[in-house]
Amino acid sequence: MAPGLKDIIESLIFVSLEPLSLEKIKATLSDHPPEEVEQALQELLQTTVSAERGITIIQSGGGYVFTTRPEFDPWVRRFLKIDRKSKLTSASLETLSIVAYHQPITLSEISALRNVDSSYTIKTLLEKKLVKITGRKKSPGNPLIYRTTERFLAYFGLNSLEELPTEEEIAKILGEDKTVEQATKP
Amino acid sequence: MNDLPLREMEASESYQVRLEVFEGPLDLLLFLIRKKKIDIHNIPIAVITREYLEYLGREEQINLDREAEFVLMAALLIHIKSQLLLPREQPLTEGEDPRRFLVDQLVEFQKIKAACSILKEREEEQLSLWTREVLPPLPEPGEADLVEVSLFDLAETFFVLMKRKEAENFRVFRGKNYSVEEKMKEIIATLEKESVLDFLEYFNRQETLEEAVVSFFSLLELIKARLVMAVQERLFQTIKVWLRRESKARQ
Repeated sequence: MAPGLKDIIESLIFVSLEPLSLEKIKATLSDHPPEEVEQALQELLQTTVSAERGITIIQSGGGYVFTTRPEFDPWVRRFLKIDRKSKLTSASLETLSIVAYHQPITLSEISALRNVDSSYTIKTLLEKKLVKITGRKKSPGNPLIYRTTERFLAYFGLNSLEELPTEEEIAKILGEDKTVEQATKP
Repeated sequence: MNDLPLREMEASESYQVRLEVFEGPLDLLLFLIRKKKIDIHNIPIAVITREYLEYLGREEQINLDREAEFVLMAALLIHIKSQLLLPREQPLTEGEDPRRFLVDQLVEFQKIKAACSILKEREEEQLSLWTREVLPPLPEPGEADLVEVSLFDLAETFFVLMKRKEAENFRVFRGKNYSVEEKMKEIIATLEKESVLDFLEYFNRQETLEEAVVSFFSLLELIKARLVMAVQERLFQTIKVWLRRESKARQ
């Protein structure tokens, strides 16, 4: 393996504005065989993850990014003067997961699934750029169609929609609920 | 490692008392079904309706903005019950159940809720990871706090501008043709010369409505092709269009 390849990749991830995808790394290092690049990246990830440093590299939003380690969150927040992290409200989270699982989807379909008018919630999500409008549905009224964005993936640390909680994971949670209920039964 | 800021620790670990507020009718129904340990596929409508109405009375536990939707669900429950009670001219065929629609909705909603709880954990994890949020160096340094604008910001600004123009008696010429392709080239040429373009100013310079509309489409095409980038220094400030650095290198 070419010497320093690992460090080159590290520098690329460092300057990249968006999560840096493997394709982009390979394209930049086109003078090296792709297998070597991949190997160097793996090595870089291993050393970074095991190193006792304040920052690490994670795979999120379809690429690699530098982040601080979770255990240093309190200090980072103190430094940035962010007291409390603003989390999504349960209405937002609900609407967002409906869009994620049922996309492409219209507002009335979302509202029907929630049994709650969701126009305000979808507006907040649009503003947060967690969902986007991708067109209109060819049905009466030509309603707008919504999809989740790249930012949505990055927000939850997902690389693609395939990484959303699976049917099995969901079934497990529902199953756990049931066992709890059974246990508490008199 | 040991001197974790005390105040933050307390804040994150202290026990928070928070009354559960039901966001919507399905939320409340699921809660009742669980509380009463009811089989979701075989809901005793009378029992659940009584419980439901009782909760509706305790207003502090439901999201009051959603009151109409809660009442609508109560009506649906009563309607289902009446369908179950009333004699029918033709007996229900096998598998047909007035509760079916509601059950399907509840089952799906339950899944979504479960997915939400997983996503919530992920959100928590991700929120403790911090990344740098900056844009690559731009032609003029020192312009911090740039926000890349969305299609909506652009469209909104454009419409506001057109409204204003309308008031100024915007001239409509017929016969002169503008093509998106040519406009795109023109915008790129301007950007290469001046490196930056003020969105508002640029459209103010357009002579006719048609030209302005074509220009707007061209700009959208350029943004889509990732040749240019529309950024805003701060919210509510003018939108500026830059040539993307990579695209410069390519040419």
